[in-house]
Amino acid sequence: MPADRELHLGLMFWATGTHQAGWRHPDASADAAYDIELIQEVCRTAERAKFDFAFLGDRLACDPALQHSNPAQISRLEPFATAAAIAAATTHIGVVVTANPTYSDPFGVARNLASLDHISGGRAAWNLVTGADAAAALNYSRDQHWDTQKRYDWAEETLEIARALWDSGDQPINHRSEYFSIDGPLGLPRPPQGHVVLLNAGTSDQARELGARQADMVFAGPQPTLAKRKEYYADIKARAAKYGREDHVTVMPGLTPIVAPTTEEAVALHDQLNSLIVLDPEVEVGEVVRAGGIGEGFKRNLVSASEAFGVNLRGNDLNAVVPAETLARVSEDGRRRLAEITRLTRRTADGPERITYADLVHATPQQLSHVVVGNPEEIADEIQLWLEERMADGFNIYPAYVPGSVTAFTELVVPVLQRRGLFRKDYRGRTLRDHLGLAVPAVR
Amino acid sequence: MRSGAYSSSATIVGYHLSGMDLTGPSSELVATACAVEKAGADYLVLPDRTAAMPDGASPPTALIAGAFLAAHTSEIGIVVTAATGYHEPYSLARQIASLDHISAGRVGWFADSATDAASDANHRREGHDPAAAPETRALEFVPLVRDLWDSWEDDAFVHEKDTGRFVDPAKIHVVDHVGTALAVRGPLNVIRPPQGHPVVFARAADTSVAHHADVLVSDVPQQGHVLAVEPFVAADEAAARELHAAAGSPAGGDVLVGTPEQVAAQLRARHVLVRFTTRAQLVAFTTHVLPLLDKSAPTGATLRERLGLPAVANRFAPTQDKELIGNAR
Repeated sequence: MPADRELHLGLMFWATGTHQAGWRHPDASADAAYDIELIQEVCRTAERAKFDFAFLGDRLACDPALQHSNPAQISRLEPFATAAAIAAATTHIGVVVTANPTYSDPFGVARNLASLDHISGGRAAWNLVTGADAAAALNYSRDQHWDTQKRYDWAEETLEIARALWDSGDQPINHRSEYFSIDGPLGLPRPPQGHVVLLNAGTSDQARELGARQADMVFAGPQPTLAKRKEYYADIKARAAKYGREDHVTVMPGLTPIVAPTTEEAVALHDQLNSLIVLDPEVEVGEVVRAGGIGEGFKRNLVSASEAFGVNLRGNDLNAVVPAETLARVSEDGRRRLAEITRLTRRTADGPERITYADLVHATPQQLSHVVVGNPEEIADEIQLWLEERMADGFNIYPAYVPGSVTAFTELVVPVLQRRGLFRKDYRGRTLRDHLGLAVPAVR
Repeated sequence: MRSGAYSSSATIVGYHLSGMDLTGPSSELVATACAVEKAGADYLVLPDRTAAMPDGASPPTALIAGAFLAAHTSEIGIVVTAATGYHEPYSLARQIASLDHISAGRVGWFADSATDAASDANHRREGHDPAAAPETRALEFVPLVRDLWDSWEDDAFVHEKDTGRFVDPAKIHVVDHVGTALAVRGPLNVIRPPQGHPVVFARAADTSVAHHADVLVSDVPQQGHVLAVEPFVAADEAAARELHAAAGSPAGGDVLVGTPEQVAAQLRARHVLVRFTTRAQLVAFTTHVLPLLDKSAPTGATLRERLGLPAVANRFAPTQDKELIGNAR
């Protein structure tokens, strides 16, 4: 039975794929980060599938040391320029750009977003991030990175100024505060959407509160349990209710679908992608690797896996099956990881298909988003479950590699979602607000 | 101005859209750009405003309009204006570099160090007052942007599927600029642009940035400079004079008044940047004057090649021609 509300879908565009080794898949475009025609084509594919938006992430620093753990974080085309080129190649799909107020000025970011909304005919959205990233501070003439509270205060005030500028018409806003002195007006006509759609991510108290009070869409990193997913959803809606916004905020967690016509093929694809990850040599105990944007992560080797599972796994052949007695001794957290391995690979400690040491290594680092492996009906089941159990209103779809994972999802899964009455078969309007069912806000 | 002589002999014609109303639907801007491209103009300069126009709406951000136009065109150069006083060098360097990738090497940056009270009043924040020492910031700004463009060597982005090597860290360099106004570590988070350095334009009179530009624009004829011209074209000379009189305050540059043949004959430079005050004048010039000029087919696909400018060596590449690097600094 279909859920009582409409599903929303966004495309999280990472040119490397969101899988760490996605770019190495034989069908992947390894240089997609700089191939604008491919980026445009991927967005047209999502548009044909009636996605709400394409999402462009960002980071204001370059760290080549991330090349095996998180290659997407090293470099990319700048989001505003890319978004304008995507807008030129599409007609309906929304385009989300990431902009960090800590390193931009309110007038500039308001003007860029208004310009993008005009040029795209009302399809712009702003992923407001506050980025705890000391490396970015060094690129912006700052000698220190601000603490969380200052970044959030600055970000929320930037948002307030941007909305005032979008509403400013020919009248100055004369905003004065401890941080800013901004006269305005913006000088651009009011954007077609009035205020561009606002996204915000995070699980901290500040992030949840900002999202509930201000955002049109919120998302968060993967929650490990069903209970925590429900708690996050309920908490956002409860906080939003305080501001009369519970129907206004769409909760959009990330989802990495590894899909193929059959379950066996999907599991094989998942295994193939993991086999392409460059593992770290076994060195010092407890050594961590920078993962970029997702904080510190474990290294990919049996030293880290030993820590994560609470048993000594070192020195074993990665392709060998792990003895059942070893798996019986893992820690409580290790048991949770084993269940996750079985969910993804269908392999167990004692079944016909057995867990390998490589599986333990791949289950060690934190995942970027919830991964689901299966045939189209299985993927659709998972999406429907999240929707009906109130864990999500929609998903940011994380394609493991591009363009293959995008076409696989749009060709195999979207028709199932449409057949079940969960997802739209056509757009109702031309703006992103139309897709989300949000009215243009009144001038304040 | 940086070293390098123009090697092409044909007339080079850029269009400066500063005086035109660009506030209409984006489809109008696209139609203009496509028509001008087809007619053989070499590049467009998109103006930018960091404060509301006194008498009406401002155009969209040049960087965004430029990316939109890049996606709709295939040959014409696209030069975006951006002021050093109201941008961050790291952000601007990556935006221009990204535009260069999106356009396959057709992009230029019109650097402008000018500040004005209305724009200053829109950009004051803790730690930055644009009215305080804008010249110091501008002097550091363009060389720093060029260094950021060089922070990846041309072959640093290897993306080798068989070995799993995505980048070559040895060919990605920090810039470590610590100046009076700006401090930027780098590296840039965009690979080196197709042109190496997108073409940097500046007004010759804009002394804080002119020294580091590739192309200088003057309002009077000057050897090696681009001449700004403002045409008033009509079928007969009297009508052209009326247009000129009606224009009121001219945009600046060499004013050319007359029939298409007279205006074509009056061009006093081989590389002109034409400023238009109305869409009608842009259409008249494009339709009637451009075909009269010696416009041979462009010699290269990139704007740098089209303008006959030399390639720029990467300052961080170990085995490049040191003399070239010396000239470029």
